[in-house]
Amino acid sequence: MADYKEAPLATRPRTLDPNDYFNLSQEKRRADEERAALRANLKRQYLTQLNNPSRTELIEDPALTRWVYARANPFPHFRPTFKTSLLGIVFGVVPLVTLYYIFKTDRDRKEAQIKAGTRDRKFNLAY
Amino acid sequence: MLKILIPTVMLVVTTWNVRAKWLWPATLTHSLLISMLSLTWFAHTSETGWKSLNSYMATDLISTPLLVLSCWLLPIMILASQNHLSQEPANRQRTYISLLISLQIFLILAFSSTEIVLFFLMFEATLIPTLMIITRWGSQAERLNAGTYFLFYTLAGSLPLLVSILYIQTCAGTTSLLILHYAPALPMTSFADKLLWAGCLLAFLVKMPLYGIHLWLPKAHVEAPIAGSMVLAAVLLKLGGYGMMRIMVILEPLTKELCYPFIILALWGVIMTGSICLRQTDLKSLIAYSSVGHMGLVAAAILIQTPWSFTGALILMIAHGLTSSALFCLANTNYERTHSRTMLLARGLQAIFPLMASWWFLASLANLALPPLPNLMGELMIVTSLFNWSWFTLLLTGAGTLITAGYSLYMFLMTQRGPLPVHILGLEPSHSREHLLLTLHLLPLLLLIMKPELIWGWAI
Repeated sequence: MADYKEAPLATRPRTLDPNDYFNLSQEKRRADEERAALRANLKRQYLTQLNNPSRTELIEDPALTRWVYARANPFPHFRPTFKTSLLGIVFGVVPLVTLYYIFKTDRDRKEAQIKAGTRDRKFNLAY
Repeated sequence: MLKILIPTVMLVVTTWNVRAKWLWPATLTHSLLISMLSLTWFAHTSETGWKSLNSYMATDLISTPLLVLSCWLLPIMILASQNHLSQEPANRQRTYISLLISLQIFLILAFSSTEIVLFFLMFEATLIPTLMIITRWGSQAERLNAGTYFLFYTLAGSLPLLVSILYIQTCAGTTSLLILHYAPALPMTSFADKLLWAGCLLAFLVKMPLYGIHLWLPKAHVEAPIAGSMVLAAVLLKLGGYGMMRIMVILEPLTKELCYPFIILALWGVIMTGSICLRQTDLKSLIAYSSVGHMGLVAAAILIQTPWSFTGALILMIAHGLTSSALFCLANTNYERTHSRTMLLARGLQAIFPLMASWWFLASLANLALPPLPNLMGELMIVTSLFNWSWFTLLLTGAGTLITAGYSLYMFLMTQRGPLPVHILGLEPSHSREHLLLTLHLLPLLLLIMKPELIWGWAI
């Protein structure tokens, strides 16, 4: 710690920040110890389950369950904002309208050519 | 026809009368014999196009592949359900199998009916056993929501169909498919006729499903037990496609003007559902959305009504039925071991289940339409006929094929490759039953490469 010097373009990591090493306030230390206690408790729960010799099932990760549920059910939290409305229009309305326009004009042009007799139809209509 | 129907009805009697120890082998053998008998429908020797004709039922070249598929599916469903039902009391197992058999009977009657009213009745009747299977035997609490969505989406779509069928009956005097295909075209000029057109097609589009009205499908597929997912993906979606094929003949010439929104929705749906698949964390949900994409291609093909597109649609329906059902069975093998559908949890399985990894590989390749499998045949015919309809569809179908390949490979790599999770213990080795199940799915698919004439309908 005494003679740590950063590399020229790197930033000093937080764990080696002298403000975090010396002159620590009491509240900060207490908060850090509380967090460490919680982490240790969770780790002990996990290790108990991991090393249980009669366990046959998966260890359930509540964070994973919440994440999967959140990925699968976004609708209750949906709020129409500018960004979501823009996304909806760009991916939901604009493609459908443009595609309708493209297909209709293309097909109408084909039909007009067929009616005028200018289209070269090599294949038979009825087989 | 009776040689299939009477054994299927008697299968219910078998289910309730065998001893509990012999329930699964007996029903499996009986249903396998019925499916072997159903292969006789493939011998098309008549010139009229309709075979096995009686007053209300007949088979022809587009209903035969679907009929054989539904008959083939029953032994596979029974095989797949054996494990998760083993904990239940015998009478409940018998009830479950009876639900599957009743579904089978309704499906046989639906696909072989020559009257549109009978087809509609059976179309609706298939909802009830499926609803019971989903809501009673599903595993999560969301199954009630799923059952509600499934039932009410389909019912809401089919009420206009009922009204339209009754109108066709009064207008044309008959609803028999044998006659209606030769009837003069109904005059279709007013707005009410446009509503008739939409009413006839809406139920089938909901069932297919079309992209905008597809919300019931991921829910129903994910929450259903394995047999429910299999029958939904393999056959019930195809009821929509088959119904559309039958009823399109009556709806000319309005289809030329009115089909655009639905073709556009279907094709855009291929891309959108493919993109959703790339983001999925739930394995069954991924397979369900891929079903929506494939069926979107089928819907677009049926709406443009050329011989090649009908052929492509039919081939893709059969190939997708087998592939999707195989993928659901594979997802179920994962689910039975980890009791979770999250893909992240069951990774790197190739290291511990190498033979199952080869089935995953084949099923994923089939899903991305690898040549020479019939999936490619169907998709290629659909893409070609859509290209003939309008050149710009190639942008959508091409991008769709690309995204399909993307998510199929994503699914394969997520489940098979990568690091095994550290905390997973006690994964049972693969049962021979599971290998048999997947063989029975993939073997017809591989055999169809050799003889696609069986499934390509009238064309070519």
